[in-house]
Amino acid sequence: MARPKPTTGYVAPIALTAGLGLLACSVANALARGGSDPTLLYWAGILVISLPIFWRLTSREASTGERLALVCLLGLSLYIVKVVRDAPLFTFSDELVHAFNADQITNHHHLFRYNPILPVTPNYPGLEGATSALMGLTGMSSYAAGVIVVGAARLSLVIGLFLLFVRVSGSARTAGLAAAIYTGNFNFLFWGAQFSYESLALPLFVVLLMTVAERDAAPREWGRDWALPLVLGIAAIVVTHHLTSYAVAVFLALLAVVYWALRREWSWPNPWRYAVLAAVLAVGWLVLVANSTFGYLGPVIGEAFEAIFNTASGEAPPRGLFQGKGPSVPETPLAARGIALLAVALLAVGVFFGLRRFWRRYRKEPFAIIFAVASITFFGTLVLRLAPAAWETGNRLSEYLFVGLAFIAAISGLHEWRPLQRAWLGRAVFTAALGIILVGGAIAGWPWDLQLSAPIRAKAEGRTISSPPLALAEWAAHNIPEEQRFGAGIADARMLMTPGEHIALAGKTPDIEDILKETELSDWELPLLREEGIRYIVADRREVAADATRGYAFTMRGDEPELLPLSTVTKFGSLPGAKRIYSSGDISVYKLGAPR
Amino acid sequence: MRGHGDLRLVAALALLCAALALLIPFTGVAAIFAVPLALLLPGYAIAAAAFAQRQLEWALFFVLGIALSLAILILGSLLLNYVGGIHPLSWAALLVAITFVACLIAARRRGPTDRGPRWPRPRPGALGTILLLGGAVAAIAAIVLSASTVPSGDAIGYTQLWILPQAGTKGHEAQVGVRSQQQASLDYDLRIKIGEDEVVKRSFRLAPGETHVVHVRAPAGSEGVLPVIATLLRHNRPTSVYRRVKGSLVAPQEPR
Repeated sequence: MARPKPTTGYVAPIALTAGLGLLACSVANALARGGSDPTLLYWAGILVISLPIFWRLTSREASTGERLALVCLLGLSLYIVKVVRDAPLFTFSDELVHAFNADQITNHHHLFRYNPILPVTPNYPGLEGATSALMGLTGMSSYAAGVIVVGAARLSLVIGLFLLFVRVSGSARTAGLAAAIYTGNFNFLFWGAQFSYESLALPLFVVLLMTVAERDAAPREWGRDWALPLVLGIAAIVVTHHLTSYAVAVFLALLAVVYWALRREWSWPNPWRYAVLAAVLAVGWLVLVANSTFGYLGPVIGEAFEAIFNTASGEAPPRGLFQGKGPSVPETPLAARGIALLAVALLAVGVFFGLRRFWRRYRKEPFAIIFAVASITFFGTLVLRLAPAAWETGNRLSEYLFVGLAFIAAISGLHEWRPLQRAWLGRAVFTAALGIILVGGAIAGWPWDLQLSAPIRAKAEGRTISSPPLALAEWAAHNIPEEQRFGAGIADARMLMTPGEHIALAGKTPDIEDILKETELSDWELPLLREEGIRYIVADRREVAADATRGYAFTMRGDEPELLPLSTVTKFGSLPGAKRIYSSGDISVYKLGAPR
Repeated sequence: MRGHGDLRLVAALALLCAALALLIPFTGVAAIFAVPLALLLPGYAIAAAAFAQRQLEWALFFVLGIALSLAILILGSLLLNYVGGIHPLSWAALLVAITFVACLIAARRRGPTDRGPRWPRPRPGALGTILLLGGAVAAIAAIVLSASTVPSGDAIGYTQLWILPQAGTKGHEAQVGVRSQQQASLDYDLRIKIGEDEVVKRSFRLAPGETHVVHVRAPAGSEGVLPVIATLLRHNRPTSVYRRVKGSLVAPQEPR
């Protein structure tokens, strides 16, 4: 491995541009919260952060240490782009669920507390357990502690990627470029940076791959030294995230088979023992601790397969690309769609040339073989985006497959291209391509209208006012005893959990969704509410309250939402003993009568 | 641990950070000590113990330090869950204990020669330092700005009205609250009826973010459960009900 040297190179000026780019992104978000449309400023900020780093990573001169520093700068800067989007509150749907778990651990001093929205999450308490350490030691909020924990995980992700690619490719330049390409994965900018269990498990997965690669390159007598980090890493992933734990088991099993296929032996450095350990721990945890995962993942995977079958057989129309759920979701502009598609095309070109290089130079390398397979599989998963219930599965897979794709695209040698015998021109084109891949990936992975923040708090006459769902949550936190349960729409329920600190049921299980949407009450509804111990029902006329990604902000003038019929709210007044005890216009809270 | 400067430093830092993180009442300052204790030192010590007889590259050592610390936090929470519960003190004790034990193992496995990683000592120079500081200042400014509320003139304001039983009064008293989330100061009229009688009629002005709370109690001589209706009107629209909520009061039993 090339030894990282303490040369700073161009790190300092590039750090300044990255800081300025971040400031531009933050200003853009502030303007968006104020009601302006600073889209161009925002994307300019992203490019100011990334292009100087990409440019320098394409150079021959940068030292390994400088490349590593640039990769860290890139990873952390892009993470802060997400942080400045909505500080100091979590606003992504899963973040509110996990923050609730972390608060529960800190308040009650034990893991595995009940989560009404995603009951599977307390069974994988790694992220919240780790966050509770910082919360407990300092008294900081789940938001602050969570941002730090995910930030540390992000740092280990980019360093792990760089060192993994250095080990497999033997080139720091290739490794830096591969890490840069990885930032173009659809979920890098937002989904993978949120306070959610996968955001911790994936970096650990990458560090685990790096550790296995380092072990592979080390002398056999070092074998035992790697055991402790590997076992700790596997165990930590198993406790943190279901899908990543299965990905670890599958990856290590594939690696073991490839080692065997290439060398016809199971002995050192074949990692089959770790594959078995990962499989045993993942299955053991699934069966003994987290068997609700079957009920959680089963329908998702089942519906994905069904959607693929229906779309392929023509029974259902294909899903339109860049299409959000519901008619109220704004369309992605044509230019943005074009950039996202161009990014995929550029990746395809990179993979095409990369696979040729792979065949000539790396086809005897076990890691490179799996990376090649992953890079091809990635394009297969793009087809899933055409099936309505399968697109999310395909989207989530991209984070894992992109590790392989980034490597294969980086070994393509396209950065060596010298159009008109000018190396700088080739570097400029490659840098621009990396910029398109980054921006295109961000567009493909996250809804266009959610790239910038929406106002959840605002300043008025020098004071702070809160959006209706946030104000409801703040009111509940101050006025309603903690043990009292709410039934609410998806967005209101999440806010009631964090920062509202209450148990709030929502969605289809139990069927709160239909109770809220119907204009008249049916016989089964009151018994269900009582059975679930719900004392307060939140009736929200805003249709956007059923949207877990958009339902938290102020309504903006000229952008008034679709409203449900008034009777969806007033019907609760007919329940015996029920009283409307809270009203903020579109949102009402009914206290249900005590069961007799 | 004699002769192993890095291990002694790590062990001492773990103890110091744990003590200061627990003792300092200011969250931001405590975090300065808690973050290395939680996210670096245990992993460093474990990596040192695991690779005591090898010279790992510093970058590898560093990333293992962070990742193993994260793994320790994850698995440590599981351990604490079954051994006494997850408390600040138990976290501090666990992290310090793991760091100490791992440092001791590392020192024993290393033998008398120091095999700690060789950390780089970058020297960016005066200009480089200024540029790095400039970048850091810009990033901090970005974060501070993101945490600041800004005016949002197009956000549609509203007002909250609620009624709740007053805690500790067994339902004899209730509080009616009005909180303005409007963009500008507004005048309100609040009317509260207990049974058939309008007992409160109040006009007030609320600035954005301000709250007005009225306490009501069951009138003397009343009996049973009394309905309470609070109606909020906006001063400029006196005939149009703006908000209405309902509650109840339990009449106090008269001593016989």
